[in-house]
Amino acid sequence: MDPTLGDDGGDLSDADGAGLRAPGIAKPTPPTEALRTLLTRRTIVLSFWIIVLCLGLPHWLWTTSTYRASLPLSTMNDWAEGKACDLRFAYPIRLRTPGWARERIVELGGNLSALLGHDGPGGLLDFTIHPGDSDEEPLPPPRENVALTVVLHAADPPGTHEVTSHLEPGESILHLGSGITEAGQIADQIREITVPQQEALAYVLSGTPFAATEYEALRATRQTWTETSLDARNNRTFKPSTTYHLSFSLFVARNEPSAWAIEDALAAYVAPLVDALSSLSNFTITTQVQLHASFSPSIAGPTFDEASGEWKLRREDLSGFVNAAEWPLSPSIGEGSTINFVLYVPAAEYSPLVVADTGGTVWLVPQWGGVAILNLDGPSTPLKATKATDRTTLSATDLDEVMLTFADQLTSLIGLPSTPSGSLALRIAALQRERATALLLSTASTLGALSRLVHKLPNIPIPDTVATSVATSLRHIDLACQDLRAGRYSKTDSNLGALGNAQAASEASEKAFFEPSMVGQVYFPDEHKVAVYVPLLGPMGVPLVLAGVKESLSLYRSIRQKVKGT
Amino acid sequence: MKLAQLLALPATLISAVLAIPEYSEHLHLRPLPNGYLYAGFNFTASTSLSAYESQHFRYFPRSLGQILQHSDTRELHLRFALGRWDDESWGSRPRDGKREGGTGVEIWSWLDSGGGKPAVEERWSSLVNSLSGLFCASLNFIDGTKTTRPVLSFEPEGTHRGGGNGMELLHGTLPHEVVCTENLTPFLKLLPCKGKAGISSLLDGHKVFDANWQTMSIDVRPICGLGGDCRLEIQQTVDIVLDIKRSMRPRNDPIPRPRPVEELECDESKSYHASDTCYPKRKEGEMAWSLSKIFGTPVRGSCHVADGDESHDISLEVSPDRAVEVSHGGSNDTLASHEQNQLVRTMRLPDSARQHTDISLPQHIFQDSPHQNRPTLYASRQITGCGQERGGMHTVLHNPHTHQQRIVYLESLPWFLRPYMHTLKVLTHPTNSHDRPTIPLKPDQMYYTPALDRKRGTHLELLLTIPAQSTVELTYDFDKAILRYTEYPPDANRGFDVAPAIIRVLPSTHNTHNTSTAGNEIGQDSYFRTTSLLLPLPTPDFSMPYNVIILTSTVIALGFGSIFNLLVRRFVLAEEVPRSAVAVRVAGVLGKVRGVVGSLKGRLRGGGQGRGGGGVAVGVNGVAAEGDGGMNGVSSVVESRKER
Repeated sequence: MDPTLGDDGGDLSDADGAGLRAPGIAKPTPPTEALRTLLTRRTIVLSFWIIVLCLGLPHWLWTTSTYRASLPLSTMNDWAEGKACDLRFAYPIRLRTPGWARERIVELGGNLSALLGHDGPGGLLDFTIHPGDSDEEPLPPPRENVALTVVLHAADPPGTHEVTSHLEPGESILHLGSGITEAGQIADQIREITVPQQEALAYVLSGTPFAATEYEALRATRQTWTETSLDARNNRTFKPSTTYHLSFSLFVARNEPSAWAIEDALAAYVAPLVDALSSLSNFTITTQVQLHASFSPSIAGPTFDEASGEWKLRREDLSGFVNAAEWPLSPSIGEGSTINFVLYVPAAEYSPLVVADTGGTVWLVPQWGGVAILNLDGPSTPLKATKATDRTTLSATDLDEVMLTFADQLTSLIGLPSTPSGSLALRIAALQRERATALLLSTASTLGALSRLVHKLPNIPIPDTVATSVATSLRHIDLACQDLRAGRYSKTDSNLGALGNAQAASEASEKAFFEPSMVGQVYFPDEHKVAVYVPLLGPMGVPLVLAGVKESLSLYRSIRQKVKGT
Repeated sequence: MKLAQLLALPATLISAVLAIPEYSEHLHLRPLPNGYLYAGFNFTASTSLSAYESQHFRYFPRSLGQILQHSDTRELHLRFALGRWDDESWGSRPRDGKREGGTGVEIWSWLDSGGGKPAVEERWSSLVNSLSGLFCASLNFIDGTKTTRPVLSFEPEGTHRGGGNGMELLHGTLPHEVVCTENLTPFLKLLPCKGKAGISSLLDGHKVFDANWQTMSIDVRPICGLGGDCRLEIQQTVDIVLDIKRSMRPRNDPIPRPRPVEELECDESKSYHASDTCYPKRKEGEMAWSLSKIFGTPVRGSCHVADGDESHDISLEVSPDRAVEVSHGGSNDTLASHEQNQLVRTMRLPDSARQHTDISLPQHIFQDSPHQNRPTLYASRQITGCGQERGGMHTVLHNPHTHQQRIVYLESLPWFLRPYMHTLKVLTHPTNSHDRPTIPLKPDQMYYTPALDRKRGTHLELLLTIPAQSTVELTYDFDKAILRYTEYPPDANRGFDVAPAIIRVLPSTHNTHNTSTAGNEIGQDSYFRTTSLLLPLPTPDFSMPYNVIILTSTVIALGFGSIFNLLVRRFVLAEEVPRSAVAVRVAGVLGKVRGVVGSLKGRLRGGGQGRGGGGVAVGVNGVAAEGDGGMNGVSSVVESRKER
């Protein structure tokens, strides 16, 4: 039909093309190429490809690659999987028995050691008994790393304290009455102190790779109420931190009272507690007075109860009582968490204000702080209205009760265990152990997460600072583990102690994980790269590839022909 | 006694250092010509330094106190401003311009200079970042490029241990910042009564930011008494100028709309006055107004929270013959003039927290226009020149007084405005005679820190003496820098804001001139700020980088392609070009399609009548045409090859 159609059938369809072709026009064929030109062309194509592959490609990869410092990934994973550290807690006990013979003490120590050790691998604590010198009097400063000192008063004349035991409030010393001399009795007394500690530690470890099966067995034996109470404690507690900012605020519904004797009250009730807790964290204290504090619009507000003559605050409203939008309770500047204590003085016409069901005026907001309502007597009461300043200033005696409550709330907010109730020193030591463990666990999981992140996202850069932080973290976490096993819990001059090391490890690991330059690069979009490369590589690549394909095909054909020909 | 204390109110800032109550507040009202009202709020709280250092806060706000402690700030001045003060008709500025800021946000503070320059910069950055969070302003954008260290313009207001040694002044501006309600709310939260009682209950964002001129300030400074007991004082002020008529428009119809022609007050003496042409008449009087109508609410209760605070809450500066009515709760009262100063009336709010207080004034026709203090100086600044490459700065300072004045002129310019200091000219001429030749004026002192690209802005400070009744013109040329692609803001074509120039009028040393009507007293310096400027910079087309990439790539690819083809292609005669296998195959398929189409056509023509057939035929024709086109394409390729 169309003359061009059959104009030339090419080499493939020579036969039927010849039929269609107009007679007289013979298709000329190009002259066969000299082998030399063929070779030159092939060399050219090959050299182009060599340059692209050997020079261009590495150069491109090198200029577009992201810097990734090498991280000790396997060590990090070991920590995350709990393989790097076998968590045990040394619990050295010192035995002091004034007036006993040396041999008897050693024998008692041996018995006791056997009895406590009998708890077997199920316990997390490693008890070691150090029989002390009997003649030392008064008690020397406890030698390093003694978790508990037991003093037997067996030699004392039998008196009223026959079988009783008591703890020294400020120190970790257990005094046993004259009636207790048997190793079994002593072991029971010691267990009474250490079992809650074991349970708390097992609770911290539960669900983590560090929890070995034997701890799980211990967990199973535990009563459910212990678990719920530990749950409650855990929910309430602030995250472990090196610094806590305590913020005491007086919120007043109207404009009186506008001052409070907070310095005296703090000195009397909070300062001693904070001093004792200083081995755990640093504390800073700020106070403020805020007038005209109104309720948040989201709560229903108090209702007047005719029967009791009190204003009742519904239980549901307690969570919204603190008017976060208007009350200036911004967190303090600097590292660390802020614990808020709010004292609210209702207006005279809404006074007394109490919580509906319980009639209480104090409650605790988990992981935030404490709230107390202070109902002042009406201005008609002669006691209060003697002087103008009495109306405007809350005296230290007005604050007594509130401050005691706040101190109590503080202990539960930072997670101080409630047992053994006799000794603050023992409770702090217990919290120290728990904290160190919790920090160690969180560090391990952060390191694991970082390792997974690095593995999952191959194109994020890893700056050297991350590698340094990881190295620091690993060093400290290792030290923390050793310190726990050796019983070095507190900070000393030469050593940070388990808690200090765990804190340092945790900080370093967080710093590595939240390195800002890593986060920013994750979202570098691929579309950008396409937009940049396609206009350049497309037009250059197509002739290069086509020439390569064509030449290699012709090479293949000529080789085949040669093979056929021979 | 109390009244006397109040009367010296502007001076109390200094004189009443000893017996300051822990908290006091004050509102000053002054009607301005042409139906404007000036309202100046002042809230002063203080705390003893020992309580501040041990972080026990009462009326001093804790949030601000902690920021100051954390950044070792000795003295802080923070300003949020909007609008322009009309010097010509409103007279001298309130508080001598000391509590006033340039448009946008301005901050200067004295920081502890221990630890050297990096430590100071660290503190400064921590300060502006924290304040940015506290006041919901973009203060965090004050970096090295927007920070200057003025030498002459500012002096510490407080008393500092060591006579001001060991501290360093840093000054930053954000002329682009739009001040609004989100800045006022945290400002009010710092007050003890939080806008719920006392005069602060009048401060409502809708009214404050509807003002013609508005400035909010926060000043923190230590004050030491003679006995050595030091206190830290925070002074918060809000100064606004409201259009009385505009503020009193009814709440149910808040949208400002043009008034009907019948209601317009026209100057009928104009020659062009007609039914459709109106020249607005200059207001001769003042309409009736009251606090509750202007601010939308009366004063709710009072905020007398400090012991020993007996001062007056509100003062009103109106002519003695005007009747002023005050209503407390239900009872009405007339506010009489003050015994000593007939121009001022004062009142103290009742202590009861529940009572509302309102002040109302009837309509008033002036016999003679009220006397306004002449400002110390008039100043204006413009950008001159055209084009996107270079421009010039032109500042006019005009001294209306009969005595010469010494001023400090401070400019902090962004780095992308590059001034040429050799072009700096300061010329002066007497105001009244324009034909006299201008005389060059030599600056007494000059401080100049040149800009570094992307690191530091220009800082220019001049100490000038302006002769009596003359005008000084200050000019210099500058280049506009070209920014990088990422440095442009989203609204790049709007232009870039240049911070206002700050002018400090030094206290006059010539005692003979103190009797003049100048607003500034002996030993008191005053401040002015020019308006901020808008600098248009060359703005690129923002798709440029991709265009450049694509263009460059295309050029490279073209070059590469042709060289590569020259090297590897074989050149033969056009007739010798072998037919490629693909082309043959395509041609075969097309031939088949053509055959099928041809046979279909034949069939349709044979029995094809009616609509349906026609429709199909069109479609078929379309296909055929396409086929043809395709064929033509192939053949043309072949032909072009032949031509080669």
